Parts: sequence; structure tokens; C-alpha cells
Amino acid sequence: MAHQLAIESLTKNFQTAEGPVTAVDNVSFGIGGDDFFTMLGPSGCGKTTTLRMIAGLESITSGRVVFDGRDFTRVSAFQRGIGMVFQSYALFPHMTVFENAAYGLRVRQLGENEIKTRVQRSLDKLGLGGLAQRHPSDLSGGQQQRVSIARALVYEPTMLLLDEPLANLDAKLRVQMREEIRRIQKDLGIMTIYVTHDQEEAMSVSDRIGVFDRGRLRQFGAPSEVYADPRSLFVADFIGKANFLKVGIQAADRNSAKVAVRGYAPFAVARSVTLDSEESVEIPAGSDGLLLVRPEHLEIAAGVEGGLPCRVRRIQVLGSFIRYIVECDAATREVTVDARRAAPGVSEGSNANLGFAAEDALLFARKRP
Amino acid sequence: MTGLAPSPRRDWLPWIVGALTLCVLVAFLIYPILKTVLGAFVRQGDEPSFANWTLYNFERFFVAATYKSAVRNSIVVSVLSTVVATLLALPAAYAVARIRMPFRNFILALSVIPLVAPPFIGAYSWIQLLGRSGIVTQYAADWFGITLPPIYGLFGIVLALSLSFFPYVFLIVQGALSAGDPYIEESAQVMGASRWRILRTVTLPLVTPAIAAAAMIVFIKALGNFGVPAILGGEMYVLPTLIYFQVHGFFNLNGASAIALVNVLITLLAIFILARINRRRRFVTVTGVTRKAAQLDSLGARIFANAYVWTLLALSLIPQIMVVWSSFAERWAGTTFPTEYGLGNYRQVFGDLFQPIQNSLVLAGIATVMTVIFGTLLAYTSVRRRFVGRWALDLTVMLPFVLPGVVTGVAFLVTFNDGWLVLTGTGTILVLAYFVRRIAYVFRSVSASISQVDPKMEEASTICGATWARTMRKVTVPLVAPGILAGAVIVFATLISEMSVTILLYSASWKTIAVAIYERLASNEMPAAAAVGSVTIALTLVLVFAASRLIGRSMADMFR
Ligand SMILES: Nc1ncnc2c1ncn2[C@@H]1O[C@H](COP(=O)(O)OP(=O)(O)OP(=O)(O)O)[C@@H](O)[C@H]1O
Ligand SMILES: [Mg+2]
Repeated sequence: MAHQLAIESLTKNFQTAEGPVTAVDNVSFGIGGDDFFTMLGPSGCGKTTTLRMIAGLESITSGRVVFDGRDFTRVSAFQRGIGMVFQSYALFPHMTVFENAAYGLRVRQLGENEIKTRVQRSLDKLGLGGLAQRHPSDLSGGQQQRVSIARALVYEPTMLLLDEPLANLDAKLRVQMREEIRRIQKDLGIMTIYVTHDQEEAMSVSDRIGVFDRGRLRQFGAPSEVYADPRSLFVADFIGKANFLKVGIQAADRNSAKVAVRGYAPFAVARSVTLDSEESVEIPAGSDGLLLVRPEHLEIAAGVEGGLPCRVRRIQVLGSFIRYIVECDAATREVTVDARRAAPGVSEGSNANLGFAAEDALLFARKRP
Repeated sequence: MTGLAPSPRRDWLPWIVGALTLCVLVAFLIYPILKTVLGAFVRQGDEPSFANWTLYNFERFFVAATYKSAVRNSIVVSVLSTVVATLLALPAAYAVARIRMPFRNFILALSVIPLVAPPFIGAYSWIQLLGRSGIVTQYAADWFGITLPPIYGLFGIVLALSLSFFPYVFLIVQGALSAGDPYIEESAQVMGASRWRILRTVTLPLVTPAIAAAAMIVFIKALGNFGVPAILGGEMYVLPTLIYFQVHGFFNLNGASAIALVNVLITLLAIFILARINRRRRFVTVTGVTRKAAQLDSLGARIFANAYVWTLLALSLIPQIMVVWSSFAERWAGTTFPTEYGLGNYRQVFGDLFQPIQNSLVLAGIATVMTVIFGTLLAYTSVRRRFVGRWALDLTVMLPFVLPGVVTGVAFLVTFNDGWLVLTGTGTILVLAYFVRRIAYVFRSVSASISQVDPKMEEASTICGATWARTMRKVTVPLVAPGILAGAVIVFATLISEMSVTILLYSASWKTIAVAIYERLASNEMPAAAAVGSVTIALTLVLVFAASRLIGRSMADMFR
């Protein structure tokens, strides 16, 4: 039985000393089955608040949380059958690892033997078998983190919620743990909502991601889709590295647009997005739109002829690829070029030119007044 | 070598400071205690020596009815007061920390008043209300035909003590509840635990150490309290009143020493039990989480919480309100209510009551300055320097904290009545007794602030070539000044109406506010006593309030 979660026009207002604040603004999305869904966004964009409303820890100002067709709004947190992992782990400091993990089962009034086997199984699964009698204060950060996951999974919740569970771990452990979380999640086939502000983390583990900005869900989709086809400047910029070229639009119809970088021949761009009025103002005066070209789609060659002229500021050899940071008049800011191999004759301080294929570009056009 | 390098110097000053303070403490604390212990084992009038060794003074605890019942009464009174105070305070602490309530800070500030108002003045108010011809007693009889239990004895003492001391539990537990990591309870909530289960399995266990520590404070205070049982005891003696009786009736210091020793033993026993309770709990709940605990705001909970907290506050403030009210009574004899009001009683404050007030201010002032100087230096040495025997230093300073005031009084009487230093009858003996009794307050308050100051700041100053004294003056002291001020104010405020030690050590020329009030109460001049009491309460409150404003800490925080 595949579970379905639907979030419908969820809104949350907080009353603060400075007046009401809209922390979550009309957010809607739906996930199901064993989806690994990640809420991604900069600090303060409302991810935690959304998660807490799903968990029932925060009251809902308007909108609904519907689980398997059942309105969750009136269901209290402790009846939702949710497993949750907090950023600070929130382990019970006065209980052993075993008792921590057993808590949810005791609440469900299982027999002592059943509790023992299930806790032991859950602890073993997370590599905590030998630590059952320790107190949380005697564990490392990574171990505490595992305990909190074991504690959330032991009673086989219908949904697992994780709020920045890896924020307190070091970089290497983060990579290791996120894979482990995904492995266990798929193993148990448990629907999971994950919160992070690390876009690389989000891209690497999720089936679906939702990009949040100032309380609004800006885009929802598979990571590849969100990366390749961002629907707003914010998302384009937040997911992966983005280069924006200032362009004029000479003609546009439903299917394509003819655009030109100033001083160059116009060319056709098939994919385009019309910005909302809020983002339209970010297009610099004198241009009609911005052209998004991802770093891996740009090519760099020596000499100023043959493409957009630029000046190389920095070359970083990053292992599997080489990153060029260049200055280009046509771009809104420094341009990043990721090349598979070094371009001959291009060195720091030298002049070069940039080229790209029109089908790799995405046009963000200003909204017509 | 550059001329700028500071010359290496030995770090002598902390040692001198430590040694000096230690000398003072040995002379005025350890030595008196030892002498008291020795004195308890010889008969009155005998020299303390092995040849004269006897258990005579303790025998009375097994034969004399007064002694036997005093021990029993002391234990019953302190245990009951502690239990009642804790039970009264816990729901209030939970309500203020976890239920949305208006005027939260105001409630916390109000709860400080019973702590700064001397409990013995309040005790007398209960007689006015619940005594044989008390206001409530009469109405209860006239309207409902109810006969209230007699206020003199166990009921009255426990009532007055628990309502005076419950704020310790209230403030400490409230603080612990507010400081804990709210996510811990939320995680229990999402795991399916009901509110009641969370309270039982998570919230309460996490604040148990705070509850135990607070209950301990109440127990020690109740066990050592002289004023309340002196006024409300009637025929019932507790150990502190028994000591007073021994000293004032017979000047039997050896007998008093033995009683004092028993009193201390009970305290130590209680501390031992507390340590047992807390042994298995070595967890820290305070985290860097800034989110406040979610506050219940269901209507029912809020109505109940407000009703409960305000009723409790009202009850505990009734004595203080009664004091202020009766201070305006000009004529109050044989009637339920005063028949004439006026300012006559306050004229006394500027007449024959002026001297005691002045005495109190002078004695408390000098003692406060001493505690601040020695307490700060000692706290610094203890927190910042590692040396052998540090624990002994800490223990010594904290010792008077657990010694009932009457015990310190007896120790001082025993020690400074004759011998190398005769101080009885002087103001000095009061100042010194105040000093050793209160140095722990400053020590604790300053230790806490110093621990929060990063030693790197001091190191930075030392690396720049500053001497230790300069570092202290320019870096450390300004940073810990709020802690010092908080400690000083609490010391001064609690000393101007100090009762337990004063009652044994005062003399005709050094009567203090507490003594003056006690004398007036004993001779049934309540309105005059009330006027001084009101002035004292007002003065104390103004002081605490001003200090809390100055250092930007709430009044309640200063008492935690
Ligand atoms: N209890 C509260 N009262 C008032 N405002 C709040 C409250 N909780 C959150 N907010 C506000 O709502 C907004 C969203 O907060 P939220 O915690 O959901 O952000 P977030 O996306 O999780 O950020 P972060 O990545 O920093 O955790 C913020 O502006 C925050 O200040
Ligand atoms: Mg968050």
C-alpha cells in the first residue's frame, strides 16, 4: 500500500513583536510511495516550519495536510505515526541508548520481548549494537545521530521527517551518513521528507526536491529537472552554479525567441521562461532578458576571436574537471566555466573567448507590462 | 632581547589573596566550628579537654521531653515545609514556563518578594489573620461555623515557612524548565507520547536535579529558621528556638553547642540523601537551542494556570500586605479591624526605632563590603587557578550556606566570649558573623560570572605585559561586575533584616531592625513593628529592583 501525502495551500503566520510574519506562504505539493523528498532553501525560508506543520508540532494558519486521503489538520502529533529526527538529535539525556530507542515502542505498549528484539534489530541496522547501555552524553556526534534515526524508525512510522539531521557532523561523515539514510529509507520503503540548505546534499540523495524562498515553494520536481529547467532566476541561481548573459530580445513567439548579446549576431533560443514581476526587476536596464548557461555548457578557447571575449582571472584544477573564472562584459557577474580538459593557450590573465550551443541555453525574459 | 619584552614574573598575588582569605575563614569559621564541636562534649563551665570529655549534653536528647520533641519537631517542620513548598511551587513553575500567560515577568518579580521580606514579620500576620481572634478565624466562625486549626504550632509554622520559601523551588524549577531543549519533548510527542506521559517520563526526570536542589535549599532554610517558630511556635520548640532558650535562659553554651551539632547533623543527612538522589543523573539539558519551548495555549489550561499562580502569589503576599496595612493602624485593640488609621507608627521609625535601622544599615553595609572583596578574590582564585586543596577552599566557603544561622551564632558566642579575642557585645561580632554567613552568596554569583568569561581574554591582557592586578582591574572585574553587584545586593538585602544569627549575638547597643521588630512583636506592638517591617521590605525591594535594572537581569534571576 503506497502512502500519499498532499500538502494543500499550506500557510503559516507568526505573530511577532514587529507584527505578523508569513513564514510559509501558500505551499502545495504531493509525494507518495517511498519518495525521498527534500526541502531546500536558504536560512529562514520556512522549511522547518513546513516540516513542523506536517508533523503536527506547529498549528496551521490555513491550508491542509492530507495523508492517504485523511485530513491531518485535526489529528494531533502523537496520532500521526511519524518518525522525526531533529537537528540537535533531541535524545533523552536521562535514558540509555536502548531506552531512547524503545521509547516509541513503550508508548505503543508492546510486550517487553517484542521491544527487545525490535530495538536490537534497529540498533544493529545502524551499527549501534554494542552501545545499547550507554547514555547519549557518552556518544560521538555521529553515533548520537544514528541513535536518533534508530529511535525514529523502530516503530515503523508511515513517514520519516528529518530536519537538517547532518548539520552538526563533519564533511566526510555527512556524505557517508546521507547515503546511509537513503539506503535504510529505500530498504524500509518509508516516505521521507528531508530538510537541508545544502544543495549538493539535496541533489545527491533526493527523488524529489522543493526549492523554498521566503516562505514560498518556488519549484518542485526531480533534481535533474530542477537543475536543467529552473522556472525562476532564484532557483537557477540556488541550484548549481549559474552564469547569466545580458541579452536583447528581437522577436519572440510561443516556441522560440530570437535573442542577441549586444554586438553579436542574433540566434534562436528554444527554451524560455517569462519571469514574474518581482524577478523582472533583476534584469539590468538596457537588456530584455537573461540567458542562463551552466558552467559545463560553456567552452573556452584562446584568443578573443570566435566567441564572447573574456579575460581569465583564475584557473582551478579540481580533479575531474578544470574551472575557469573569467570576466565577460556580456555577463551580469563573473562567469564560471567547467571544462573537461585544459584549453590550450589559456592561462591566468590571458584573453580568451566563450562559446556555447544555443540549445543548452535557457532564456529568462522580463514580464511584459 | 628587545626592550619591549615584559620581564617574566612569578604569579604570587593569587596565592597571597587565597592565603589571606583562608586565614580569615579559618579564624572566623573553622576555628569557631571546631570550638563548638569540642564544647559540645564537655559540661558547662569545664575546660574543653580530654579529661573532661562527656556525652552529658547529648544525653538530654534521650531523656528530656523538650529535647526529644524539639528534634522531632524540627524534622517534621522542615520536611513538611519542604514538601508543601515543593508541591505548591511545581505546578506554578510548570505553568509559567509552559503555558502562555500574560505578565510572566511580573509574576516572577512578585515571587521574589516573599524571599526578601523577613519571614518572621509575615509569621505575625498569620496570627492576625488566623489566630484565636484573627480576622479570618472570626469570619469563618461567624459565617460558616468553622473552627480553624490553631495557628500556634505545626500548622502555623509550616504554613508560614512554605509560603515564604516556595519561591526558591518556583524560580529554580521554572528556570530549568525554560532552559531545557524543547526538541526533546517534541520528539517524544511525535513518537506518540501523550502530554501526561511526556511530563512523567521526560519533563519531570529532566528537572529532577533542579527540584531536588531547590527542595534542599528550602529544607536547610526551614531547619535553620528561628523567627517563624519563635513567633508561631507557642509551646512547640524546634532546635533553633531551643538553642535560643539555652543561651538566653541559662547561658549554657555547651548545651547550645550540642543542640547546634544535632541541627547540623540533620542538615548533613539531608544533603547526603540529596547526593544519593542525584548520583545517577549526570546529564546536561541546557543546549545552544534558541527556540523557546512550545507554550500550551488551550483555554482550559490557561484559565487553570492563571487561577493557580495568582492564588498562590496572593497567599504568599498576604503577610506582606498585612504588614503594610497594619503599619497604618493607629488604634487596634480588641476589635477585628483597626478603628483608626494614621501615620503615627512611622513617626516611631524616625524616633526610637531610628537607631536599630541605622545599626542594621551600618552592620550590613560593612559586612557586604567585606564579602564582596573577599568573595570576589576567592571566587577568582578558585575558578582560574589550579592548586591542590581547591576543593577544601570551595567547601569552606560554602559551609555557612548549610550551617543554620543559629549554629553560626552559637559558634561565635562560644569562641569570642572569652580567650584570645573577646568580641561579644560588639558590632564587630555581628559584622564577622554576617560576613562568614554570606560570603558564599558573592562567591557563587561571582564564580558563575567568571566561569563565563573566556580566560583567553585574560591571557591576551597578560601577553600584552599587564600585571595580574592590572588584568584583574581592567579586564576581569568589569566583565564580572554584574555578578559582583548581584551578589552584593542579595547579601545586603538579606542582611538588613537578618534574624537567626543576630538574635544570639546582639547587645543593647547594637540592636538591629530584626531585633527591634521581634521585641515589638513580643510585646504585642504589631503596628510599630509593621512600620519598621514595611520600611525594610520597601528598602529591600527598591535595592533589588535598582540592581536588577542596573545589571539588566531580572529580579527573579538574581535569586536563582
Ligand atoms: N515561533 C516563531 N515565531 C515567530 N517567527 C518564527 C517562529 N518560527 C519561525 N519563525 C520565522 O519564520 C521564518 C521561517 O523559519 P524556519 O525556521 O521555518 O526557517 P528555515 O527554513 O528552517 O531556516 P533554517 O535553514 O535557518 O533552519 C523565519 O523568518 C523565522 O524567523
Ligand atoms: Mg530550520
